[in-house]
Amino acid sequence: MNKIEAKNVNVFYGEKQALFDINMDIQEKQVTALIGPSGCGKSTFLRCLNRMNDVIDICKVEGEIKINDYNINQKGTDVVRLREKIGMVFQKPNPFPKTLYENISYGPEIHGMAQSKDELDQIVEDSLKKAALWNEVKDRLNEPGTGLSGGQQQRLCIARAISVKPEVILMDEPCSALDPIATAQIEELIDELKKEHTIVIVTHSMSQAARVSQQTGFFHLGKLIEVGSTDKIFKNPDQQQTQDYITGRFG
Amino acid sequence: MINREEFLNKRYKSEKRFQFYGKSAIVLALLFLAVFLFKIFSTGYTAFQKTWITIPINYDPEFMYLDADQKPSIQDLEDSEYFDVGIESFAALDQNANEDQITDIKRMFAFIFEEEIKYHILSNPDDFGKIVEVKLTASDDLDQVFKGNYPRELPEERRRVTDYQLKIFDKLNAEGKVESNFNFSFFTNADSREAELAGIASSFMGSLFSILVCLAVSFPVALLAAIYLEEFAPKNRLTDFIEVNINNLAAVPSIVFGLLGLGVLLAVFGLPRSTPLVGGITLSLMTLPTIIIAARASLKAVPPSIREAALAMGASRMQTTLHHTVPLSLPGTLSGTIIGLAQALGETAPLILIGMVAFVNTIPGSPMDPAASLPVQIYIWAESAERGFVEKVSACIMVLLIFLVLMNLAAQMIRHKFEKKWN
Repeated sequence: MNKIEAKNVNVFYGEKQALFDINMDIQEKQVTALIGPSGCGKSTFLRCLNRMNDVIDICKVEGEIKINDYNINQKGTDVVRLREKIGMVFQKPNPFPKTLYENISYGPEIHGMAQSKDELDQIVEDSLKKAALWNEVKDRLNEPGTGLSGGQQQRLCIARAISVKPEVILMDEPCSALDPIATAQIEELIDELKKEHTIVIVTHSMSQAARVSQQTGFFHLGKLIEVGSTDKIFKNPDQQQTQDYITGRFG
Repeated sequence: MINREEFLNKRYKSEKRFQFYGKSAIVLALLFLAVFLFKIFSTGYTAFQKTWITIPINYDPEFMYLDADQKPSIQDLEDSEYFDVGIESFAALDQNANEDQITDIKRMFAFIFEEEIKYHILSNPDDFGKIVEVKLTASDDLDQVFKGNYPRELPEERRRVTDYQLKIFDKLNAEGKVESNFNFSFFTNADSREAELAGIASSFMGSLFSILVCLAVSFPVALLAAIYLEEFAPKNRLTDFIEVNINNLAAVPSIVFGLLGLGVLLAVFGLPRSTPLVGGITLSLMTLPTIIIAARASLKAVPPSIREAALAMGASRMQTTLHHTVPLSLPGTLSGTIIGLAQALGETAPLILIGMVAFVNTIPGSPMDPAASLPVQIYIWAESAERGFVEKVSACIMVLLIFLVLMNLAAQMIRHKFEKKWN
């Protein structure tokens, strides 16, 4: 089932066009990987999905992006509600310089999701458990989130993202700043999360895309060259360019 | 062919020379500072001491126009005259003194001797009719003589102190009747034409009220302006223009703001002149750009990743700004604010224009009362011819410098204590 449908998406940074006519469907409760060389537009596309490009003054997005059959680019879309439904994890772990507890409770608080302190405590605990961080931090919830190791910080950011129970989680190269052990932990976590969430992940590592995703889209120079099941893309791609990139001949 | 050994030596030597230049520059700067501080301290420290002369005061009922047979009530003592008590007691210091000489003796004391004599009898009513020793404030000239600041070797006609006064003074001094104590009145009195009575209370309170008004006006305005410009305003020609003008505003000579205060606050709005209210608003025009620039710089220093994190959680732009960006930028903003206030505290020119240079001998109780300010007080005293004011100028500078150092320390502390580290 399609969770997200992008139709004829064009993105411009001022005069420069960054994405050309992207058409892509993203399946519900699956992991979709976006791969491609640096500057190919995969992160730009990811940021279209929760309208984070709005933050950039000169950025202009055209086309239709339907999530649950609702076009998020239409006028009057409430981006606050949208981002509640679509969480995001960034390349560099960016916990708030507040306590661990406050990092997780922030989202539920601003969206009014908890009726009482107990309920909020429960959300914090559940989110940390789902992010496989609970056991490591349960005794120091009042310490600053910035005091954790890089991998722990990234899992904290994932816990923060899932605290508002989003339908979709966007991940922008979530492991590129982490060591291999922390990366493995995050990948395991992604596998777990896809039971309840639709996940779109941008990654530089083709082995990671092959390991975690069911669908893969290959971007090059702002165009979506090929999209399909991860098996097919890695074993038997339709396009020569995809084949070249997968086998490391360029990129 | 270059001799590489020699070439290397040359490089080392030039590096050493360069370091030497740097060190000399620092030594020179410290030397200037040391000379400056030494000069101020050595002239000023005596102002914190005040000279008192103890003489027998004759509380004779006759001089007080009271009935000798009857013990007077406190109210009687309150209403009584003490000028004659003083004059008769002065005359008793030298049995052979003629009228001129008695006047000379009277001038050895501060003109408030009547008050001091009255104060003593009011607190010791039992001394009525007795001759008791009372401590009186010495005149500023004798104060300077006692502190060794007065050139006694000058010929008499060029001195404000007569030979006769010096004779009486030396006699009293030899008897151990002259002493100097900590000068509390320097901190509790307002300005006075008499150097021995002049204090900084009025100007200190004036300065304090001025910077409080300045803070209350400029901080909220500057913070809102900075937040809007940095976080919300689109980047276009208009905002560029505004930014350039804010930077220009910071470079406008302060006297221009004084003219603005005079022309607008006093002339158009009719606010009371010489008051810290007007002074503070005028100074806030000066601190506004400083705080805006500091606040924008510290907002800019908050990593964009924090904003993205909050936005991606579904926070609105205002929530992102108020919950995350502004709290993180506050330490920088606050220390910038204190630096701006410290500049305002040392500002003289605009205050002179709005009338805070007036002679104010009352201590202001609110920002609406006329007051002087510390730097203007320095200016007023520095203009006075009397020798007694010389040390006061330096003492006032010391107080102002201590005030400034404390403010800068506070700025440093806020920065160190509350600055959050991220990654």
